[in-house]
Amino acid sequence: MMPAVRGDGMRGLAVFISDIRNCKSKEAEIKRINKELANIRSKFKGDKTLDGYQKKKYVCKLLFIFLLGHDIDFGHMEAVNLLSSNKYTEKQIGYLFISVLVDSTSDLMKLIIQSIKNDLSSRNPVHVNLALQCIANIGSKEMADSFGNEIPKLLVSGDTMDTVKQSAALCLLRLFRTQPDVIPSGEWTSRIIHLLNDQHMGVVTAACSLIDALVKRNPDEYKGCISLAVSRLSRIVTASYTDLQDYTYYFVPAPWLSVKLLRLLQNYPPPDDPGVKGRLNECLETILNKAQEPPKSKKVQHSNAKNSVLFEAISLIIHSDSEPNLLVRACNQLGSFLSHRETNLRYLALESMCLLATSELSHEAVKKHQETVINALKTERDVSVRQRAVDLLYAMCDKTNAEEIVQEMLHYLETADYSIREEMVLKVAILAEKYAADYTWYVDVILNLIRIAGDYVSEEVWYRVIQIVVNREDVQGYAAKTVFEALQAPACHENMVKVGGYILGEFGNLIAGDARSTPIIQFRLLHSKFHLCSPMTRALLLSTYVKFINLFSEIKGDIQEVLKADTNIRSADAELQQRASEYLNLSRMVSQDVLATVLEEMPPFPERESSILAKLKKNPWRQGDTEHKESKMPPAIMNHTNDIKGGVAADDILDFKASAPIPDRQGDQNILHDVFSSISNGPQAAHLPSTSHVDNLNKFVCKNNGVLFENDIIQIGIKAEFRQNLGRLGIFYGNKTTMPLQGFSTQISCSGSLALKLMVQAKPVDPVIEAGAQIQQLVNVESIDDFKEHPGLVVTFMYSAVQQRLDLKLPVTLNKFFEPTEMNSESFFSRWKILSTPSQESQHIFKATKPMDPEATANKLTGFGMQLLPNIDPNPDNFVCAGIIHSRNQQVGCLLRLEPNKQAQMYRLTIRASKDTVAGSLLELLYPEF
Amino acid sequence: MKKTEDVQQDIVKETFQLVSKRDDNVCNFLEGGSLIGGSDYKLIYRHYATLYFVFCVDSSESELGILDLIQVFVETLDKCFENVCELDLIFHVDKVHYILNELVMGGLVLETNMSEIITRIEEQNKLEKQEAGIAAAPARAMSAVKNINISQQIKDIKLPDLPNVIKDFKF
Repeated sequence: MMPAVRGDGMRGLAVFISDIRNCKSKEAEIKRINKELANIRSKFKGDKTLDGYQKKKYVCKLLFIFLLGHDIDFGHMEAVNLLSSNKYTEKQIGYLFISVLVDSTSDLMKLIIQSIKNDLSSRNPVHVNLALQCIANIGSKEMADSFGNEIPKLLVSGDTMDTVKQSAALCLLRLFRTQPDVIPSGEWTSRIIHLLNDQHMGVVTAACSLIDALVKRNPDEYKGCISLAVSRLSRIVTASYTDLQDYTYYFVPAPWLSVKLLRLLQNYPPPDDPGVKGRLNECLETILNKAQEPPKSKKVQHSNAKNSVLFEAISLIIHSDSEPNLLVRACNQLGSFLSHRETNLRYLALESMCLLATSELSHEAVKKHQETVINALKTERDVSVRQRAVDLLYAMCDKTNAEEIVQEMLHYLETADYSIREEMVLKVAILAEKYAADYTWYVDVILNLIRIAGDYVSEEVWYRVIQIVVNREDVQGYAAKTVFEALQAPACHENMVKVGGYILGEFGNLIAGDARSTPIIQFRLLHSKFHLCSPMTRALLLSTYVKFINLFSEIKGDIQEVLKADTNIRSADAELQQRASEYLNLSRMVSQDVLATVLEEMPPFPERESSILAKLKKNPWRQGDTEHKESKMPPAIMNHTNDIKGGVAADDILDFKASAPIPDRQGDQNILHDVFSSISNGPQAAHLPSTSHVDNLNKFVCKNNGVLFENDIIQIGIKAEFRQNLGRLGIFYGNKTTMPLQGFSTQISCSGSLALKLMVQAKPVDPVIEAGAQIQQLVNVESIDDFKEHPGLVVTFMYSAVQQRLDLKLPVTLNKFFEPTEMNSESFFSRWKILSTPSQESQHIFKATKPMDPEATANKLTGFGMQLLPNIDPNPDNFVCAGIIHSRNQQVGCLLRLEPNKQAQMYRLTIRASKDTVAGSLLELLYPEF
Repeated sequence: MKKTEDVQQDIVKETFQLVSKRDDNVCNFLEGGSLIGGSDYKLIYRHYATLYFVFCVDSSESELGILDLIQVFVETLDKCFENVCELDLIFHVDKVHYILNELVMGGLVLETNMSEIITRIEEQNKLEKQEAGIAAAPARAMSAVKNINISQQIKDIKLPDLPNVIKDFKF
């Protein structure tokens, strides 16, 4: 039973492993391990010098303990000592321990590097290889700095043994991935390329991986590899399998190298040189031909090896996209794999066909397999395969088959795995929009989506259907009728209520003539859902109701009753309360004309790329893209809940007059009255292009760039950067009118105590902004101490001989001076505990006002300026962050924990900071973001 | 960047959960779990009796090629240990790593030719024997210990080789 490999067993190690295996419980195991750790520790500390064998044994035990999942915090030095042993086995275990356990930032790294240096210059190739393995396994920047010069020499030197060359190639590739400038250029390029001609197949395979990476960085410099790769490939493909002896794997000549070469060629367009091109096509044809030959072995290894080459050849054919004959053959080959009994091949065939479907030359050929693919969706037992089938259906969809494919996907959605539902919903929505010949079909599909998988229908999807209905007159009546019918279902998804509410609010009049859907019936139907909905949906419904008052004056009384109800006008939710009272007053105070103007039908949305397409494209963890996503959301729909007309948010009704100083938000009914009267007959308002404006101060808490203020005369944008306790803002004033703005001036100030805490210096601005022009103002800020208020910005100018004044605030908040701080779980919790006095902590429990999306939350927290620390909180749903706030006088350490409760739609936000009151200020800034 | 020990262990757990619930006749590829970067990485695995061999790869590798590589690894283990079983892998973690190091280096495929790999391992064994000298005696004793444990074979099979397989395939 003694394994052949082991001449030198370590008895103590074997006994220890047996002991562990005999432990009856986890506790016993931990006890045994702790005993062993204590034993090893005392041995290492003891006076008696250990011989190499003992050191080796203990280091090996530590390695075993580590692999069982226990932390090892000592023994590193002993492992490093083993590196300088002249015994191979001792060196080997030392290197293994270091590769597996030692972190690249360890302070032992200098010693390790010295040992590697010695071994690298050893005359014994096995020692050199150990050193190369270790460099590659650590692969840090420090390794690249230390050995970036040595390794290329080893790689191309004539004296180097093949095995060393092979390792050197991959080692260099590993370092290249860490630090791209490690590869020398110039004369080295051609020497590296020529490794493709090396006699040793192992060297060629390794070199091929390296060259592939180099080509990706600099295709032109390495162009020479194309012809070498083609001829190497040709020699392999046409070889009978006896030629390559050991590199033939189950009767397939050098499959790994063939795959690598075919991948390398996918970095380039088809070769220019007709000779090379002909030779490559010949290879590809030969590979396709071989697929038709009877197998030389029944073993799965044979078919795997053969097909790995075949799939790569097909990828290259698809990539080149130039030989119709090869493309059709590739498609047929993949088609036959679609019904192969090997699941792996079906999977790969679906995946490759997806690429093929995007080529114009083969799109039609792919469509022939539609039925098989639909069948795969229905019958495959493996979710990975079904997912590939969905991808392929999506890729092969066009005008001719859209209805059928969408129908099948909808059908599959009813039973689809939860993990892929959201993506499927997006795909169906995109296809339905893209290929809709008839928008009634599109509306049906989306409503079906909501019905089947309402939970997975993201905002982008239902925003989009509303956008399309608003923009297309021909579908509005149908949409109103269909949502009305859908809402009849006793249990319908909240997203259906949202869409239904919006559409009936806009177009309910189109079906009001039908006795089955009179105004009061529509209203009662919607209102029967009201109590089951979240505050956000209720708010939307209140807007629908006020629109009903305009559309159907006969039910004004019923609606006013609802607005007056305590649950609305005295709702604990500020948004609902505000809407109910404003809408109620609106309905009481103004004339029917005004009401009709204010509550007029939504204007069409500007055409833009479908926001759902943007969502599908986006990579969830790339932060920049999230902003992109935000900007893609149709803003008017986002605000529909607050929308009465155009872009006027409900809470801005109070500030209708853009030309006036912005009134205080706590303004009361009198102002409201006043404001409305100025709209209906005020001459001043009449010559302003419009009466709406947007003030975005609060949107800057988690971001630095954007539009701060906008009305129809002027747009004020901000671009800001902060570092440590300093900041620099660019303020952009854009004149939106066709006349110059005269007497333009700005005043930036810190009032009261803020003056002592924040230094602000602004450059002067030009007194005139020409029509359509933009000017920039630079502002430097320095934080002296922690602060709460915003600096003020007063903008004054003359427009049409009327003096205009804007009282704004600059988005400079305490959190802008955060420096994100990385820390591990241990130091996080120990610091958390230290900051435990009541004045250091601030906590708030509140209702979510936005959808509780973990990704959006993570982005907000990062935008807030703190370091998001994943995997620290035992509950994976919670977020923890750390950061330091810089000011001239001090640095304040801050820790944050955000606990979402999805069921209750609530959050608990806790912030602790090393300076009193800072936690409170941060909390005030952050919680309204959720 | 080396992942911390906790994360490594979590990756092993997550991977095991993903892989172990799959039937035998489904395909051998799946998208990576959340801890290893989701759909940018694929898990490619083979199932031999009670053992799973799982490799995590990025898009630069051919799926079937990696399946074959796993087969080469297992066949090599089988040759080196003469009829390999779980116990060999557990008792000779170091050796398993040395063999793996001949196939994969810094996460990159190094050598695919089994006879070449075995030649190199044999070379190492020769060195080992030369150096062992008197230390060979304990080895015989160990063999006896190992036999005692055979009845325990089925109990609580731990897979100490997995974390490193996964770790080695990093990026």
